[in-house]
Amino acid sequence: MFQNYFKIAYRNLLRHKGFSFINIAGLALGLTACLLLGLFVYDELQYDKFLPEGDRVYRVYNNVTSEESTDQITCVPPMFGTTIQENFPEAETVLRIIMQPWEGKSLVEFGDKRMYEKGGLISDPTFFQVFPLKFIYGSPEKALDDPTSVVISDKFADRVFGNVDPVGKKISIDKSSFLVKGVFESNPKFHIPVNFVVNLAIMQLEPERMKSWGWQQFYTYVKLKKGTDANLLQTKFRAEVKKQIDPETHKPHNYEPVFQPLKEVHLYSASFKFDQSLRGNITYVKALSVIAVFILVIACFNFVNLATAKSLQRAKEVGVRKTIGASRGQLMLQFLGETLLLTFISVVFAAALTSLLLPSLNAFTEKEMSFNVFSSPGLLLLLLGLLLIVGILAGLYPALVLANFKPVSVLKGGLASTNGPGKTPWLRHSLIVLQFSLSVFLIICAVVVYQQVSFLHNKDLGFNKDQIMFFEMRGNNMYQNYETFKTELLKSPDIASVSIGYGFPGDATAGDGIYITKDGQRVNHSITHLMVDYDYIKTLGLEMQAGRWLSKDHPTDKDAAFVINETAVKELGFGTPEKALGQKMEWPIWGATRKDSTKKGEVIGVVKDFHFKSLFDKVDPAILQIFPGANWKVAVKMKGGNVAGAINHVKAVWDNFSPEYPVEYKFMDDNFEVMYKAEDKLRTLLWIFTGMAIFVGCLGLFGLAAYAAERRKKEIGIRKILGAETSSIVTLLSKEFLKLVLIAAVIAMPLAWYAMSKWLQDFAYRIDIPLWVFGAAVILAGVVAFLTVSYQALRAATLNPVKNLRMD
Amino acid sequence: MIQTQNLEKVYRTDEIHTTALNKVNLEVKAGEFVAVMGPSGCGKSTLLNLLGLLDDPDAGSLVFNGTEVARFSERQRADLRKRSIGFVFQSFNLIDELTVLENVELPLIYLGMKNPERRRRVEEVLEKVQITHRMNHYPQQLSGGQQQRVAVARAVVNQPPLILADEPTGNLDSSNGNEVMDLLSELNRQGTTIIMVTHSEHDARNTHRIIRMLDGQTIMTEATVSQAQASMVL
Ligand SMILES: Nc1ncnc2c1ncn2[C@@H]1O[C@H](COP(=O)(O)OP(=O)(O)O)[C@@H](O)[C@H]1O
Ligand SMILES: [Mg+2]
Repeated sequence: MFQNYFKIAYRNLLRHKGFSFINIAGLALGLTACLLLGLFVYDELQYDKFLPEGDRVYRVYNNVTSEESTDQITCVPPMFGTTIQENFPEAETVLRIIMQPWEGKSLVEFGDKRMYEKGGLISDPTFFQVFPLKFIYGSPEKALDDPTSVVISDKFADRVFGNVDPVGKKISIDKSSFLVKGVFESNPKFHIPVNFVVNLAIMQLEPERMKSWGWQQFYTYVKLKKGTDANLLQTKFRAEVKKQIDPETHKPHNYEPVFQPLKEVHLYSASFKFDQSLRGNITYVKALSVIAVFILVIACFNFVNLATAKSLQRAKEVGVRKTIGASRGQLMLQFLGETLLLTFISVVFAAALTSLLLPSLNAFTEKEMSFNVFSSPGLLLLLLGLLLIVGILAGLYPALVLANFKPVSVLKGGLASTNGPGKTPWLRHSLIVLQFSLSVFLIICAVVVYQQVSFLHNKDLGFNKDQIMFFEMRGNNMYQNYETFKTELLKSPDIASVSIGYGFPGDATAGDGIYITKDGQRVNHSITHLMVDYDYIKTLGLEMQAGRWLSKDHPTDKDAAFVINETAVKELGFGTPEKALGQKMEWPIWGATRKDSTKKGEVIGVVKDFHFKSLFDKVDPAILQIFPGANWKVAVKMKGGNVAGAINHVKAVWDNFSPEYPVEYKFMDDNFEVMYKAEDKLRTLLWIFTGMAIFVGCLGLFGLAAYAAERRKKEIGIRKILGAETSSIVTLLSKEFLKLVLIAAVIAMPLAWYAMSKWLQDFAYRIDIPLWVFGAAVILAGVVAFLTVSYQALRAATLNPVKNLRMD
Repeated sequence: MIQTQNLEKVYRTDEIHTTALNKVNLEVKAGEFVAVMGPSGCGKSTLLNLLGLLDDPDAGSLVFNGTEVARFSERQRADLRKRSIGFVFQSFNLIDELTVLENVELPLIYLGMKNPERRRRVEEVLEKVQITHRMNHYPQQLSGGQQQRVAVARAVVNQPPLILADEPTGNLDSSNGNEVMDLLSELNRQGTTIIMVTHSEHDARNTHRIIRMLDGQTIMTEATVSQAQASMVL
């Protein structure tokens, strides 16, 4: 019996090559899209799953509420860890890692090798207890107990030592000597991009400082004992924090600590501040999953549509089989089987296509996903599951329709009564509407995302980030003689200006308090501090709103002047920029020996707001002042033309000052480019998969149009004989489909508008969804549909009418 | 073998009700060869469809071999069809994607018969209708008469006691038509009951009895010469 079914299925496949091709191609493409997106989503879900007992590990972050908003701050005060350790026996192990500057690199030296390495952690020695990474050399026990020991990754070891056991060797990191105690295996699925770990003790932080409740600089993890209720512990800990923070001295923060399960760290922290881990975005993961399902649904609908449309051609066979005594069940089985056969072929193609495309996706997403059906039984099972689901989803309805044909009516020749003119094939039309709704929805989303991402890249940031070389000062000589260093740099004709300080756009900035006098009262305000020099404004191309910039000509500017930004004018309650001028301010000097010594001065100027952070965040209130003690970064503005000349000059001057450090630099605009990397990728992925969805949908439409044209051949022939023109016949055939596309657009638009409004809310600076997007999406979908359909219509309309009539 | 009582069939399309069969009472005994005649549209095909359980009556009773089958479920009907009834149509109704052999084999497959028994039976029947040399051809490659012989072969391959034939010679020229008629007569001689719709008086004369219909009713039954001969033989 199955042999007979198979024969029929196979011969039908060959006989209706066009239909088979459309079905298989559509389904294979849909499955490929689904598989690729599925792999991506699966990979995103794998973070930290490899860690044994990871379900007992939590990251402690802090919801910090200010007047304006609540921020999730990943860095918490050192006392969080200490308090958990001392007060809560439920906590088995506590781990604190100190936050270091973004992209911070350390100079690693061994023998004659010198290289900058990223991903150095300074942490409590409990690191490998909380995160039991696999050791290749050495052992995790006591590996970090000694403040001069270091544990390195296998990749680090490979770069520095080559392929030998480095345990027991000494290396220099940032000019201090460390003993290698172990080598662990890097795991790309670990949320911390760790390259080497040293003991926090190396920093020799004062015990007093470690008792701070205000110094938010530590990533804190807790491994709980078995069976601990994390929620309960969180509640208890919150109460404890409230109790311990001295009401007299605590900062104006409202802390609300949260225990975040390790398995949520990667995907559920997209909006967290100061989080340096490898982060994904659950919204994007969900969106891509939905798109994957969309595309598969579109492909399945194609199948259902084409199969039901084509079913008339199978009607006679059904009639005959029923007459002979086939039961409905047997017929359903037969037609389901045929769908499964087609699906099987599609799955095979899809698997091949996926293997082919995966390397590109890997390169694009910087992942190492693998897709090997033969070595992974799980994957094979998944494909089998997919085959069954899609096969049944797509095949069930057509099978039902076919199996329900009445033998009497179909054998009479034709199905006039069940498919006469005037009868709308409701199901087929609904499915087309749904397919095109999804397509229009995706088109609108793709355009809006494109617009927003372009906006992010092109928005006027209030300063000029182009042609600025940017680097960290290295070596004592550079730090101590920064004035001469600057003068030397400026000697090149290719360099326009140089600024040294701490707090450049796109780079780390510091937040701290400032005192102002309000209604006779001294009040503390938290504000962003940008430590600048006289040339900061020239280097970045900022503009003044009121007053003047800091100047060498005013000797007091060095020690008694502040410039603030427009937002600060508002936040500090000065009213207008003009009124802000002359306001008194007081700043507790960093690193002062006397705790209460402050820098007193007045506001001499207001600078126009500029975006020193990403466009995800509103411009923070900022204060700009001269404070060479914080000097850290150098920005070099180049003068058009000769970039290479400028770079060579910088290298030469650097080597004069700090030959013991290799030169290292980047460009400021790159800092901004990477901020929107996730969004850039989303944009590209959306375009690709939207394109796929539309293509697959059109394949189906193409098939249906071909079918409709075929069915109406005789009608078209008669019309032509009666004098109808080609154009009127094309219109006749296309009108029906275009109507459906329009209905689809009407359904999709509000949904797309809603989804995109939601997405845009994550951005402090965003576009208004332009109305033309909706028009464009409809027109695009309409034009594509029209071209698809009219091709078939035109073919039908230009055939010789006599031929069509004779065939009947 | 078959008795009907007040068998009725009404077709309802939107507004028009067509009474295709109006209180038909008839009886066909086992071993009979009956012709049904009447003008186009008088309900012959409808009657045959009801007798063959391809369609369900709106009222009346239909007894098949002593069992009331008028209210049989879809599944029961399919089962009865596949065991007891063979069909031959005017338009042959062979499956184009299957070869001659595969077409004829189909009823046996649904009966669950296994090879080599199945193969043997098919070849035997094909032999009988003299189409063995074409058994690996597809229907489209055969002449009308050949196709109808294949259809007859398919109808009898599972040796059903009853064959229903709806204008089996309607699409054939007279010599091909005669061949098919000879086949049916031969089957009848071997014991198969046959009910055949036909427009050809000539063909009808070769049966035992003619049932004449008009406007959904049987108006009279006449014995034919061959009926007399058959009675004589019996
Ligand atoms: N599926 C149907 N729907 C509506 N009316 C039908 C249908 N099939 C047959 N009829 C009507 O029933 C009557 C009998 O038809 P039929 O049995 O096919 O006649 P015959 O085979 O004697 O030519 C005719 O009037 C015909 O129009
Ligand atoms: Mg008829």
